[in-house]
Amino acid sequence: MQSADAIGGNVYDKPKMNYLTNGSTLKSWLLTKDHKRIALMYLISVSAFFMMGGLYAAAIRLELLTPNSDLMESGTYNKAFTQHGVLMIFFFLIPSIPAVLGNFLLPIMIGAKDLALPRINLLSLYFYWIGGGLALFALMQGGVDTGWTFYTPYSTTFSNTFVMAVGLGIFINGFSSILTGLNFIVTVHTMRAPGMTWFRLPLFVWAQYATSLVMILGTPVIAITILLLAIERVAHVGIFDPAIGGDPILFQHLFWFYSHPAVYIMILPGMGVISELISNFSRKKIFGYEFIAFSSIAIAVFGFLVWGHHMFVSGQSIYAGLVFSFLTMVVAVPSAIKMFNWTATLYKGSVSFDTPMLYAIGFMGLFLIGGLTGLFLGSIGLTVHLTDTYFVVAHFHYVMVGGQVIAYLGGIHYWWPKMTGKMYSEFWGKISAMLVFIGFNLTFFPQFILGYQGMPRRYASYPAELQVLNIFSTAGASVLGVGLVMPVVYMVHSLFYGKPAGDNPWMLPGLEWRTASPPPTENFEKMPVVTWEAYEFGEENGLDLEEAKRRDLAVVS
Amino acid sequence: MADRHPEHEHMEHDHMNIPKYLGIFMILVVGTILTYFAATVDLDFIFPGANTLLALLIAFTKMAFVMLFFMHVYWSPKLIWLSAIASFFWLAIMFAYTMQDYFTRGSGVFTG
Amino acid sequence: MSAHASDKFVYHEPGLQHQFDDMKQQEESVSIGMWMFLVQEIMFFGGLFTAYLVFRSRYPMAFAAGSNHLDAFWGGLNTLVLIVSSLTMALTVYYAQKSNRSMQVIMIVLTMIFGAAFLGVKAIEYTAKYNDGLIPVAGLNKKVKEDPGAHHEKAKPCWEVEHGAAAAEHHVVNPRGEFLWTDCSLVKLAKDEAFLTDAEKIGYFSKDASGADVIDINKFRDKVKIFYYIYFVMTGLHALHMIVGLLLMSWLLWTAWKGNYHAEYYMPVEMSGLYWHFVDIVWIFLFPLLYLLGRHFHH
Ligand code: HEM
Ligand SMILES: [Cu+2]
Repeated sequence: MQSADAIGGNVYDKPKMNYLTNGSTLKSWLLTKDHKRIALMYLISVSAFFMMGGLYAAAIRLELLTPNSDLMESGTYNKAFTQHGVLMIFFFLIPSIPAVLGNFLLPIMIGAKDLALPRINLLSLYFYWIGGGLALFALMQGGVDTGWTFYTPYSTTFSNTFVMAVGLGIFINGFSSILTGLNFIVTVHTMRAPGMTWFRLPLFVWAQYATSLVMILGTPVIAITILLLAIERVAHVGIFDPAIGGDPILFQHLFWFYSHPAVYIMILPGMGVISELISNFSRKKIFGYEFIAFSSIAIAVFGFLVWGHHMFVSGQSIYAGLVFSFLTMVVAVPSAIKMFNWTATLYKGSVSFDTPMLYAIGFMGLFLIGGLTGLFLGSIGLTVHLTDTYFVVAHFHYVMVGGQVIAYLGGIHYWWPKMTGKMYSEFWGKISAMLVFIGFNLTFFPQFILGYQGMPRRYASYPAELQVLNIFSTAGASVLGVGLVMPVVYMVHSLFYGKPAGDNPWMLPGLEWRTASPPPTENFEKMPVVTWEAYEFGEENGLDLEEAKRRDLAVVS
Repeated sequence: MADRHPEHEHMEHDHMNIPKYLGIFMILVVGTILTYFAATVDLDFIFPGANTLLALLIAFTKMAFVMLFFMHVYWSPKLIWLSAIASFFWLAIMFAYTMQDYFTRGSGVFTG
Repeated sequence: MSAHASDKFVYHEPGLQHQFDDMKQQEESVSIGMWMFLVQEIMFFGGLFTAYLVFRSRYPMAFAAGSNHLDAFWGGLNTLVLIVSSLTMALTVYYAQKSNRSMQVIMIVLTMIFGAAFLGVKAIEYTAKYNDGLIPVAGLNKKVKEDPGAHHEKAKPCWEVEHGAAAAEHHVVNPRGEFLWTDCSLVKLAKDEAFLTDAEKIGYFSKDASGADVIDINKFRDKVKIFYYIYFVMTGLHALHMIVGLLLMSWLLWTAWKGNYHAEYYMPVEMSGLYWHFVDIVWIFLFPLLYLLGRHFHH
């Protein structure tokens, strides 16, 4: 079962040793160097953090059901949204696609036995656990209330909450992300199978590569920033304290030098997944491969030039604001290029609407709105009205949830049969995809209007006339919540009762579909030799469309 | 694998020898002494900040020698060159875009 | 992790990890990985250099004053010490390539000696700062009780306090171990020559009763404190990297002693060398930026 002949392989294959059955002791998991096992452990961990972050979100939406702050007092509310943000951004969204799907698939997609540095990979998982554990510890002690942005001097001087512990958790977790990025870069450079040239790489790999660049170049800066914050908090002296001539805005510069690029850590991998889904489920070679590949790199590079758009009203010079505003418009171009290319790929493709594809289509709509509203916020005049309102909240949820989370879910559904060898229920998959889409829009679209009407973010109470839209939002959140819990149920169910998926349930050409499901420990039994271009659906590749449809029916239904 | 550079087949064995290493070492020592004494002379008569510029020039030169010869970048694949250059480019981004804020705060037409 | 799935036996060179096909691939991977790590390190220190840049351009006089009080002799000596250690490190790699075990071991030992010497000098410098009350954290300086018998000089205006004379010559009282700085002669100088920036004027002066700007030693002290804060964070993190480097060297010494490295396999030596040189490079910048810039104001 390897290389091209895997395509026509028997669906119900004889049992053999795969990465899941190769060792079942606890030690064989905790000390594994197998990227697939590490990915699974990441999957479980990030899901746990996602659920915890979700609980905080539920609390926030419940509080905002009524204009008064009745469920929580404002101090508690501050903690709720801070912890929601910290858990979701640092412990769920940033590791989500890279550490789970990237870890699992990147070596397989390039035909390698493992990542180049498997021990470093395991180390990064432990950093993640230690960082996450510290953050959880801090939350149990009483939490933080600074907002996920940790602005000084509040975080250094005034906040009486567990800033240090959470900061340390994020600091350590940062090194997890740096090591993952480092590993991916090395792997893409040195581990590609014979024939796997740069321009035959799946676009998912390009996206991971670009993400890794951002991780390596940006994350250390947040590390040092947090360190400075911590020293300042402990030693009561430092450079962010305006009382002694320090500059709190310098904190914002350093913070956003990382955190704007970090929003690309939170979207580029999603874009990579979407490129895979769009091309594969249209059964058509992706339109403008090079453009998509290079636009990922361009986003990674230009993403470092716009951080000041988070600081328009912070007291940064207006001249700097102008420059950052202009560059913000520029950085939207590569994202737009991707949108156009995806749309062109769909055109005249033979599109099939399996669950992953539903997510991909949802992504295109939601990311479009998210990106365009980013441009509103990036225009230096308009933003004065919109900044720090629910418009910003809606914007970033459209890109982060509508973008990355949706892509992540799409990716999980798409590669689930590869990861587990089992097929989930397509019926429930579709239902949940729809619920997520509807629930999401119901939750966050009203927030654009709320923000435009002037509802500020980060307050537990609001004027009574804004209640109707807030009720919509909370109602939507419950739908979204149901939509997000459902996959947990039917996915776990599929582990035990799911139909065997077969090696290539969707009849696709990528390398990951040319090995067994679940793959053996070293991914391929013989080193694959790549002789085809990416997304090649030609007959000669054994990917007959009629056969695929027949298979699709036989396996999935 | 596709990236292998045949000319770097086996890691450089005979690019450097002891006299060369000692030569580089002497350059670094001279640079250190130079930078020390240059700092005690007021060069502001050339232009303000000339001292700073000179000190940084010497530091960059020393760094270049360490990187090129002690760290063997000179004989390394393009990717190593690229990552060395890119990291300084990114530093420059961080410096330049931060400083454009500080240098223009509350001055000129843009009082704000 | 053995290759359960492969059905045919594959010969692996000793030291070759299972995911690689040959040593060359492994070497290339490790070396790229190390460089990516160094890129990461550069950005890490980069945040500190940004902070330095911002505040030095804002308060040049305070930075010059603080910098003048560092001991450029020790700083310079330490630069030379590190350069020697870089040389011996480079030679370690050289002798590993030449499969010369005993010279490798000697060179590693020398590198460690010079590395330790560097830390020793740093300790001397830090102690001096401790004695002079120049650690920016209240309570971490030497506590000097009031001496009832000592005769009290009449307080001079800060611009007449002699540069560098703060703690060494006078008996300075510092019961709580606070940051001490009584000298604003540089500001006076700069004011007379009229080259203070706007930010500095706001930063160093207060209005007196008549509404005129007078030098405020308390405000000036805060700015010097920022210099020392940056000095300690930068050199402290650098010293931490030196300590990590020394640990790395100890391990290298052990493995080189066992004769692990020779012309065919010396990756670990080379990689440790990269790290060591990187730490040296950071110091090459720290030395002029912290110890030297602004020194010429006094000449
Ligand atoms: C088309 C590209 C984008 C543009 C032009 C853009 C622009 C902006 C601007 C100008 C702001 C500042 C709003 C304010 O505080 O006034 C902002 C906030 C934000 N954006 Fe984006 N954005 C884009 C894409 C993204 C993506 C892809 C993500 C994440 C996946 C993202 C996440 C965020 C977050 C989290 C915030 C809020 C930060 C906070 O807490 O203050 N953005 N965006
Ligand atoms: Cu941004």
